[in-house]
Amino acid sequence: MKQLDWSYSREALIAIFIVLLVSLSQPAFSVTPETFDINRYTTTGAGTFETFYVDKTQTLRSAMADDLVDDETLLLVTSTASGNLALIRDQMSFHHIAQGSSNALDWMVTF
Amino acid sequence: MVPTIEGKTYNFVNSGLYDGLFVLEDKETRTLWSHMTGEGLYGPHASYKMPVSNLLQMNVAQAMAMDSDMVIAISDRPYKNGTGFTNGRWNPENLDAKLMPAFVETLGDEDERLDRMAMGLGIWTDDTRRYYPTETIRARGKYLVDEIEGRKLLIVLDPLTSTPTALYWNTDEATIEGRDILLDDGFKISNGVLYDSEGELVEVERPQQLFTRWYGFALTFPGSEIIE
Repeated sequence: MKQLDWSYSREALIAIFIVLLVSLSQPAFSVTPETFDINRYTTTGAGTFETFYVDKTQTLRSAMADDLVDDETLLLVTSTASGNLALIRDQMSFHHIAQGSSNALDWMVTF
Repeated sequence: MVPTIEGKTYNFVNSGLYDGLFVLEDKETRTLWSHMTGEGLYGPHASYKMPVSNLLQMNVAQAMAMDSDMVIAISDRPYKNGTGFTNGRWNPENLDAKLMPAFVETLGDEDERLDRMAMGLGIWTDDTRRYYPTETIRARGKYLVDEIEGRKLLIVLDPLTSTPTALYWNTDEATIEGRDILLDDGFKISNGVLYDSEGELVEVERPQQLFTRWYGFALTFPGSEIIE
């Protein structure tokens, strides 16, 4: 029968204990499925906001020429597969979600 | 975010509240998702992480300076040109804002190191999560230089929109001059865009960041460092 090398095992156990201690003392990096408490979740507000499904865009330059926006209009800008895309911040404070597709690649913005 | 899972497009709605923040739900599987981290929190896709990228806030003039070919999508909702808000749902300048009771009921154990409704810039990387209150940035002269994982990080309060933004840039100090932020070696940030001394636009790298109230950032990223 193979004898267990207790001196080696003890060192290994101490190392595992230290690793566990360190990992347990670290706060969770973010909310995760493990820390999510479904009892604190509420559907309040569900259906109040409409996701903005983007099926057409125009150049910012043309929107300025058409007086749809001016220099001061506040935007949210994201990067998509076909370049930068702007959304109007004021509108996104209602929609909260916008999604669409550029060059066959999906994108989504949440605000 | 990229709402594609295993090659299929998922459609998202706001389904409710958790920790005082809106929760995403996909219509296909009804999984609940964090709108900050893009991680599935509850349901069939729990633990799946949608790729996330930065959503930058700027005005039209800044956007045109950054990319004159940029496109815009405009919905049928009313909106206001300029810096005002038509619906008042989200106004970071309102420091007296109160969280509605329906939101408060969903809060976990709050981190009380800052006021619940304090505004600031939260950043996160693989190893770091840090919060820069707007008041701190303002008190330090509208900018501060920090270091994250060995890289210098410049956090500035944009002179045009008063929105804080962070970019990796090797500098020790900055000077706010009107609408421009002057950096070492003739570099400057103008209209939110970085230019070299020759006036050429310089691409910059930015950490993942979000201009948000303290309670939401702190509950999403527990134990975050605060720069005060």
